Amino acid sequence: MIGSADGSANGRGGQALEALTELARTSARPPTAGDLDGGLQALAARLTGEERRRGIVRRWSMVGATAVAAALISVSWLRLRPPTAAPAAPFALRYTVAGGRIVEGGYLREAGHAGMILSFNEGTEFSLKPGTRARLHSVDSSGVRIAIESGVATFRVTPTVQRHWLVDVGPFRVTVKGTVFSVLWDASTERFELSLERGAVAVTGPLSSGDITLHAGQRLVADVASAEARIFEDKSPGEPAVAPSEPIPSEKPVPRPSPASESRLGTDYRWTRPLAAGRWDQILSEAQHAGLKNILDTASSEDLFALADAARYRRRMAIARQALLAERKRFPASPRALDAAFLLGRVEEWQAAQEARGTQASEASKEPTDVKVALRWYDEYLSHAPSGAYGAEALGRKMILTNKYEGNAQAQPIAAEYLRRFPNGSYAGAARALWRGR
Amino acid sequence: MQTSRSSKQLSSPIASIHGSVSDVELARGLQSGSAWAIAETWHRFAPMVLMTARRALGSESEAEDLAQEVFHRLFRKAKTLREPDRLRSFVFSFVVRVLKSELRRKARGWLSFREPQAFVDVGGEAVDMESRDLLRRFYGLLARLGTKDRLVFALRHLESMTVDEVAASMNLSASTVKRSLARSTSKMSRWIESDLGLVGLWGGKGWDR
Repeated sequence: MIGSADGSANGRGGQALEALTELARTSARPPTAGDLDGGLQALAARLTGEERRRGIVRRWSMVGATAVAAALISVSWLRLRPPTAAPAAPFALRYTVAGGRIVEGGYLREAGHAGMILSFNEGTEFSLKPGTRARLHSVDSSGVRIAIESGVATFRVTPTVQRHWLVDVGPFRVTVKGTVFSVLWDASTERFELSLERGAVAVTGPLSSGDITLHAGQRLVADVASAEARIFEDKSPGEPAVAPSEPIPSEKPVPRPSPASESRLGTDYRWTRPLAAGRWDQILSEAQHAGLKNILDTASSEDLFALADAARYRRRMAIARQALLAERKRFPASPRALDAAFLLGRVEEWQAAQEARGTQASEASKEPTDVKVALRWYDEYLSHAPSGAYGAEALGRKMILTNKYEGNAQAQPIAAEYLRRFPNGSYAGAARALWRGR
Repeated sequence: MQTSRSSKQLSSPIASIHGSVSDVELARGLQSGSAWAIAETWHRFAPMVLMTARRALGSESEAEDLAQEVFHRLFRKAKTLREPDRLRSFVFSFVVRVLKSELRRKARGWLSFREPQAFVDVGGEAVDMESRDLLRRFYGLLARLGTKDRLVFALRHLESMTVDEVAASMNLSASTVKRSLARSTSKMSRWIESDLGLVGLWGGKGWDR
């Protein structure tokens, strides 16, 4: 309101001024996400162009040039499309490498011992710790794909809906949704860690049938060798991503199911979303509240699988085994039944590993835990789906277990088969070592 | 303008959209030249900058140009920020500076015998034709004010800032701001009353009750 302190705004003119000012104040339209993205692109282009004019040495790699070409092609394509249907094309990504360089095949070679930093022109930054082995698969206007073969890397990704950022970490894939996170992959022990400082990521890999969605402050630790995957709540999202201390399991209370969720029992896919959101305790709690036997007898194929996944993530292996067996019994012709065979092998392997360590498994089990049972499940999977989603994993685990329990000679033919079929698989290193040890 | 004078915390109509990194962390990131900080600063403050510029200039396209200039200058001068916790005020001080120079440029255009431009395109499709005509006339009258008076008027009445905030942002005393407001308000009221076309439109909108 234009008051007397602001000057003479009386009379007809004063009232009109007040109304016009209010109209001007309320007519301004807040910028949309597209406005902001477009503005940032323009700004980035201006800053980059200025740097070039100043003669600052910037390295443009072959991949960067490819990105420019891809952007030009996409711009040309967009020009051919009807203007009403064409969204703004994201500007071409460019990057610089500090502390190293890109060599043939996209491998990042460290120049010294201080690690490397990849900086992209729209603000994203990848920081690789010293000794980290990584490979830049692709950079174009639609996004970036990078693989961390071993070591520790931190990613600070600028949020945008126009690009996809994919990080392959050993056998895991991290789909980035605009965030800050660190990953660790130890190829020798097959240990994967992801610490999420902020934002959200989705992780897929051999230990889950679908996406595992992580939120700020969560840490996913996966031990591929023992088929363990757990999520921890870090005390503070701002702490160093890869904490040196031993992880402490989350002590969050198990939520009781709400009446609304009880009423949903019997509905297909009711646990798909909680599973993707990492609400595993909720799934287990609801299953127990509804009666596990009832769930095993009546739940849909997808729900049984979700229950099995939730149980595996929480190390409730007896429940996981029951859910997977129910899946195979009730839906024998479904693709999930085959997946269940592989995962049953993982469950048995985990159980056997726990007993071998002399530690008490999280749940007592009367089921046989001989590692041969795990091997039979892997064989079952491989005989029906040798090229299935878990084919490489099943063959790799079979090779490792055979070597461990039956000896090198028995494992070598499996190693040879693995190398022939999956020369770049996550068990290729172990297979080569086995093969060399003839 | 001295940054120290403009370090008063400002009220902002637009909240930050990425709130997990503090302004202090962000300021330090900018000062160290981190690429992520540039993007984060844009996403955090561009809505505020764009809205202020859109309201002050009455033009979305001019506001976009202004925002580009603001952030360009900001990134070049980030190292001069002495108080990282005053990042928002630091950004706003650039908005005021760039707005002032833009309004001066427009005023020079008028002195060189060109018609004062009031290119109004705020609101887009959401604003009806009559309102757009009113806005065009309103911004046309604003363009007749001096640069300082116009900016003071915009910050006080379009951004709803207090007199003290306006004074701090523009490196003026509160009494100068009050005199400027009295002058601009009086002129604007008078011009509106004498603008028959505007009065007619105003009456048509039914705002004279």
